[in-house]
Amino acid sequence: MEKIAETRVIESNWDISTYKFKIEADALNLLIKGFKEKKVLGRKCQSCGTVYVPGPTYCRKCQKEIDTIVEVKDTGTLGTFTVNLADIRGNPLDKPNIVAYAKFDGSDTWLMSRLEGWSDWKTVHSGMRVKIVWKDKTEGALADILHFQII
Amino acid sequence: MARKDVAIISVGYNGRFVSKRPDVSIPELIEPAVRDALRKTKLTINDIDAIAMGNMQTFEGVNSPHLWASDYIGGTGKPVIRIATGGTTGMSTFQSAYYHVASGLYDVVMAIAWEKQDEGDSQVGLGGILMPEVFAMFQFGPDLSEGRGLGIGVGSGGGGGSTGSASFQAMSYLARSGGGIEHIDMIAALLRSNAAKNPYAHLQVPGCKPEDIAKTPIISFPLRFGHTCPTSCGAHVLILASKEKAKKYAMTDRVAWVKGVACGTSDATFGNLIDGQITDPAEQVVATMVAKKAYARAGIADPQKEIQMAEVYDGFAHQDLMWPERLLLVGDGKSPEMVAKGAYNIEGDMPINPSGGVLSTNAIGASAMVRVGEAALQVMGLAEGGHQVPRRVRNAVAHGWGGLFQFVTVTVLGEAPVQ
Repeated sequence: MEKIAETRVIESNWDISTYKFKIEADALNLLIKGFKEKKVLGRKCQSCGTVYVPGPTYCRKCQKEIDTIVEVKDTGTLGTFTVNLADIRGNPLDKPNIVAYAKFDGSDTWLMSRLEGWSDWKTVHSGMRVKIVWKDKTEGALADILHFQII
Repeated sequence: MARKDVAIISVGYNGRFVSKRPDVSIPELIEPAVRDALRKTKLTINDIDAIAMGNMQTFEGVNSPHLWASDYIGGTGKPVIRIATGGTTGMSTFQSAYYHVASGLYDVVMAIAWEKQDEGDSQVGLGGILMPEVFAMFQFGPDLSEGRGLGIGVGSGGGGGSTGSASFQAMSYLARSGGGIEHIDMIAALLRSNAAKNPYAHLQVPGCKPEDIAKTPIISFPLRFGHTCPTSCGAHVLILASKEKAKKYAMTDRVAWVKGVACGTSDATFGNLIDGQITDPAEQVVATMVAKKAYARAGIADPQKEIQMAEVYDGFAHQDLMWPERLLLVGDGKSPEMVAKGAYNIEGDMPINPSGGVLSTNAIGASAMVRVGEAALQVMGLAEGGHQVPRRVRNAVAHGWGGLFQFVTVTVLGEAPVQ
């Protein structure tokens, strides 16, 4: 008997609706408020001593509310990084770009930005010292950090 | 109330994992694995008391697949629970089935985990995990030129999918352990060639060499195509039974006893840009915490001596080096040395992923349960095609990992229940 195809492919489109996310904006609001004055602000848990940047209003480890605002240094240590050798479509880049995470002195968490101050990307390694390079005119936005500079 | 002894009495597959199965629907993909698992026991579908089923949320665009598959899996008239916990989905599903039996509420329970990635858009599914973060970031003025302000979300991770974010973990792991990219190449080649000995594995490359891996294109340095997993379609089924029912329904006395399960969660340690939770992605404290809990429950005091093999969740090859350390199967920073001297080979002192791992087969919702199934086959001595560990496997450990680098599951199996 001839086999009849039982499975069909149905093209379908999941048209995602508009959602209204509620987010905990406090931590990032504090961060960009500090950025305007070229400062890196976070919160410290008085119970366990952890310094969070950006600083949430409760400690993940102690499950306690935290409200001590602290300023950390704009110098820090390179934690980890990745090197993009191609753009998002796969075209090779003339100059690779490095996206880096760094732990700024006084903080227990990492911030991310582009890394500059290297000539050969193969020489970049974790543990290098970095400094935040600010925009001339900061406006209270994440983009106030231009990049991290190897020092 | 003491927990009851539970055994895995059957391990079922729908066949070899592949990229695309346009010939079948989701229920049709799963059903042969259910039949395969039943065929390897004296059970009929009517003897199954309850079913736990898992796959990734939104990957196929089918929001409630357990609903459409309920009759194909023999679920009518029975409790069916659906689990979705990201990468750990498969092992969460297995552990749910385990709780059903260990609690004494049910005697024979089937765990089903699957993924059919050709039907949907896995990157959209993965993006769904991060999109709320990315949209939230838009409220705080990131620099959107060249996507530079969003690094992991768009600029880096976007191009490489989850590889973009895993590359940060890989770099950090190498810095912590002192290993080099050549060690990642070595373990990737080992797993690709292990996969060639597993008839169910997807990406099989017999005799794969580290040089072959090193030739593949870079996605996001240091990770290359050869260091990453494929997207697979397939289904995996485990049947769990109480001691009495295991005796009655298992084909032989070769069953795998579930000695200890544990599961743990950290905050979204990586990628959570709102709450300031970014910490070292290679630290993975929770993995060690969970492993210790599982070993204690399994009565294992010295994992390096008492455990003979491991199946770890390795979407990326550097994780085959990182997880054995975090799971205390080897000393901290010792993996590069172990892989270089062949200790992670099938014949080695501590075989890691003889099946080829997630690195060679990634039907995501199934992947963490395949770790349990493959560890069970090793304990039973039934791994086919040449990937059976030659020495006696008294205890094996299976590990799952997922979420935003934050969920961990560990299961210890053995040839005898905990005394």
